Amino acid sequence: MKSTKSIKLNIIWHRRLGLSVFLVLIFLAISGFALNHSPALKLNKISLSNSWLLSWYGFEKPAINGFKLADKWLYQDGNSQLFLDQKAVAPCSTPLLSGVKHGDALYALCADSLLILTENGQLIESFSQLDGLPINAQAITAVEGSLYLITDTAPLAFNPDSLALTPEPKVYQTLLAPQLTLTPIPNSLEQQLENSGPSISLETVILDLHSGRFFGQFGVLVIDIVGLLICILSITGLMAWINRLRQIKQ
Amino acid sequence: MHNSLYSTVLFVGLLTTTLLTSPLVSAKGVYQSGPDFVTEVFAPHQPAAKVLWLTDDIRQQAEKILDRPLAGLRVRYHQYAGKTAWILDEIGKEMPITIGVVIDQHSIASVKILAYRESRGGEVRYPAYMAQYQGASLTERYKLNKSIDGITGATLSVWAVNKVTALALYYHTQVSPLAEPTVQSGK
Repeated sequence: MKSTKSIKLNIIWHRRLGLSVFLVLIFLAISGFALNHSPALKLNKISLSNSWLLSWYGFEKPAINGFKLADKWLYQDGNSQLFLDQKAVAPCSTPLLSGVKHGDALYALCADSLLILTENGQLIESFSQLDGLPINAQAITAVEGSLYLITDTAPLAFNPDSLALTPEPKVYQTLLAPQLTLTPIPNSLEQQLENSGPSISLETVILDLHSGRFFGQFGVLVIDIVGLLICILSITGLMAWINRLRQIKQ
Repeated sequence: MHNSLYSTVLFVGLLTTTLLTSPLVSAKGVYQSGPDFVTEVFAPHQPAAKVLWLTDDIRQQAEKILDRPLAGLRVRYHQYAGKTAWILDEIGKEMPITIGVVIDQHSIASVKILAYRESRGGEVRYPAYMAQYQGASLTERYKLNKSIDGITGATLSVWAVNKVTALALYYHTQVSPLAEPTVQSGK
C-alpha cells in the first residue's frame, strides 16, 4: 500500500502541472480545432500584412516608386499590378521601367511589354516582346512631340498608332537624359496599398503558433515540454483516480 | 574492367543527353514571333497593321464568345486581299496562350500556336490538331461550325483555341462586312 505522503505528493504535482500548462493547453485545443476546420473557416484566404508580422517573418516591404505623369502617379504595387493613382489599371508582372504621357495617352514600359493607356487608366493596347518590342528596351520618352523607345544600343522612334519602331540616331544626344525617373510615391497613395505586397495567411500563423515555430527553435522546445507535461499530467491524474478508488474500498 | 568502363561512359552520356534535351520536350515555349507569323502568312506581301476599335457592341459580343471580360480598347490585325491575320491571347488553365489565326473569306485558313506558357497541354500546337480548324466558319450563335476533336489532358487549351478561333472569325466579320455571307447558318 502506498503511503499517504506519496498520494498527497502525487496530487500536489498533478495540480502544479495542471496549473502550469492549462493556458497553453486551452490555446492548443482552440488552435488545433481551427486548423482542423481551416477550409471551412477559410483561414488560408485571410491574408495578414501587418508590418510587424511581416518583419517577424523576414519580409521587407519594398519602397514603392513611380512616375508622375501630369497630375497622376503611375506605379506598380508589390503584386505585379500597375496603378494610376488609386486605380488598378493593368497587370505588369515585370518591373516598371518607364512611364510617359504623350498626347491623350499614357505609356507604361514594363520589362516585357509596353502598355498604352487612356488618361483615365483604361488599357488601350499591350505591345509585348512577342509583338516586336525589343528585349533591351530601357525607357520610353517624349521629345519634341515624338515618342522614343530607348534601348541599350540605340534610340528608336515609336509610332503609337502602327507600333512601328525605326532607328533615330539624330536625336540620340537629346535622349541620353531621360525626362522622368522613378520617384517615391506620396504617403497618401502608399497607405492605400497596405494590403498589397507580401502577406501571410492566418492559417500559417496559427499553424506556426500551434507548433511553436512562430518563436523559432525555443518555441518548438516549449511546445515539446508542454506535450511531455501533458503526458505526465494524465499519468498523475490516473494515479490520483486509482488511489482515490483504493481509499474508498478501504 | 573494360565492360564496366564502357557502361559508365554510356550511362553518363545518356544522362547528359537527357538533361540537355529535357527543355526541348517541355510544352512551354515561344515558337514564332508575331511579326514573323504575319510575314509568313502574307509573303511576298507585307500589309501594314490595322486596328479594330472595340465598340460597346463588339466588346459585348467578344466577351460572350470568350465568356470573360475583355481587356484593351483596340485589337491589331493585318489584312490583304480578303485575308486577315489575328494574334490573340487566351488563358488555358493559368497562363495565356498566344494564338495566330488566319481567316480567308470568312473561314479559317490556318491556326498556329505562337507561344505556349502552360506546363501541360502543349499538344494543341501539333499540326494534326490544328488542321481540324481549316475551313471552319462561324455559326449564328458565334460558335465554330465544325466539331473539333479534343485532346486528353489538354481540354482547357483546346477550349482556349476554340474560343480564340471563334473570336477571330467574329472580328473578321467586323472588318470585312462587304463579303458575303458574313455568318453561316448553324448546324
